[in-house]
Amino acid sequence: MTWRFRPARDLDLAPGARFRSVRREPGLLSLAAHAAWSALVRVYLAAWHRYRVAGREHLPADAPFVLVANHASHLDALALGAALPARLAARAYALAAGDVFFESDGLAAFAALALNALPMRRRKVAAGDLKDLRARLIEEPCILVLFPEGTRVRDGRMIPFKPGIGMLVGGTAVAVVPCWIDGAFAAMPPGATRPRPKRLRVILGEPRTFAGRVNDKAGWMAIAAELEAAVAALKPVSGR
Amino acid sequence: MESDRFWGWGAAFAEPATIWIVGGVVAVLACAPIAILLVGAEPALRTEMWRRWRSWVVIAGVLLLPILGGAGWTILGFALLGIACYREYARATGLFRERLTSACVAVGILATGFAGLDAWYGFFLALPGLGLALIAGLTILEDRPAGYIQRVGLGVFGFLLFGTALGHLGYLANDPGYRPILLLLLVAVGLNDVFAFVVGKAAGRAKLLPATSPNKTIAGALGALLLTTLLVVGLGGPVFAGTGMEPLGARIALGVLVGVLGQAGDLMLSSVKRDLGIKDTGVLIPGHGGLLDRCNSLLLVAPAAFHLIRVMGGLTFGGGARLITGG
Repeated sequence: MTWRFRPARDLDLAPGARFRSVRREPGLLSLAAHAAWSALVRVYLAAWHRYRVAGREHLPADAPFVLVANHASHLDALALGAALPARLAARAYALAAGDVFFESDGLAAFAALALNALPMRRRKVAAGDLKDLRARLIEEPCILVLFPEGTRVRDGRMIPFKPGIGMLVGGTAVAVVPCWIDGAFAAMPPGATRPRPKRLRVILGEPRTFAGRVNDKAGWMAIAAELEAAVAALKPVSGR
Repeated sequence: MESDRFWGWGAAFAEPATIWIVGGVVAVLACAPIAILLVGAEPALRTEMWRRWRSWVVIAGVLLLPILGGAGWTILGFALLGIACYREYARATGLFRERLTSACVAVGILATGFAGLDAWYGFFLALPGLGLALIAGLTILEDRPAGYIQRVGLGVFGFLLFGTALGHLGYLANDPGYRPILLLLLVAVGLNDVFAFVVGKAAGRAKLLPATSPNKTIAGALGALLLTTLLVVGLGGPVFAGTGMEPLGARIALGVLVGVLGQAGDLMLSSVKRDLGIKDTGVLIPGHGGLLDRCNSLLLVAPAAFHLIRVMGGLTFGGGARLITGG
């Protein structure tokens, strides 16, 4: 019999620093806050955006897995999170821009507690952060929601995926589910201050794994390109 | 009248012993800055002393206000302290990842607080058994035998420490004259730590339990035991005047118990931390580490002192009527 318990990864961090760390692990109180927020978001999406999900059958039964999608709006993370059943949503972290969502103390607390977000430094993504996340996906196990374009696209058209996603999953058995978020750009493009009541739809694609891949730069680029194509292929013909 | 006893400040200083103890604590905290200024220490050490002094002021305030405020505040305060201590323990051990086990422990701690608020002694005594049934029983439903012994073991240990043991301090507030008794226990446990540290620094060579806590010495432990017993015997005179705890033998027994179990609680947390391979259980209190690093010495003292005082007739719990559930 082996001992199964390890101290929290963020045990040595003061509360403010915890909210801003990719090592943050939520307890019962933060999970309750996250669950309450998620319930509100589901009601809002259904009422204001006539939110629908297609392809739920492609979701793996359990963690670990990664959701990747196109990114054109602040609504995207909410829409993807709402595609998960509550049981899985409790294990899901959204990777959010450290320079936007973790600037002030109040915003960082909101991002951590309500969104269950982990910060990503965008200018120069720290290799150590990605390594931590990679280990965490498998050990915890958890679900990551992320946008490999790295930013909200300004005109609604996709831009190339960054290789970071390859560093996360290359050479592992972790499933990656490509997703297309439809209507978020029309509802709330970058720069908009409030969402318009436009229809929102999430289309989930078939999961894929990258177990056999070489875990190096060329491998990461190939994974990013492959996922980018998989996400783009989900875009409905009439979609915006 | 009950609501006044529970939530009213009117009786805060009804017992003269309360005035003496609170006055003493306030005087020591007020004089400490002068002592720090007079001591010719290096700047780094001085900064550290200021940090600890500020922490002590906050700790004293957080403990004194609810105790003076009334029985209800005291019971709620110790229940919240129990939850906060459990949170730290769960994050240090890793048990917090077991959501259901953790929720069961939290329910158990809150139920102990409820038993206190209700003044329902029978329920309070039943709770260790009921908590065990809740933690060991409900978590079976996860149908995950791998690791079952470990999570139930950690869960029950946590519940007994932060629900049951700490809960005794809350429940004690149901005694009409609880204020000086609680203050005596808190002051004696706090000073017991200080005595062990000071005597150990001044006179100690031979280590007490070097693998558990390399800084503790036998001289420090014995010195603290002696000084704490003297303190409890002295302060206990006015606190227990006119009750079954007044005889010298009873006060010596209480003093020895606080001296031994206070240090045992400290060493217990040292063992836990060493087993886990961590230095502090948290970062909440500057200069002290986590909440548990400060509360550890109370944990084993609380139930033993409560029952010693009760058996000797030092606690009466008024008429014994249940306040919320009736009967």
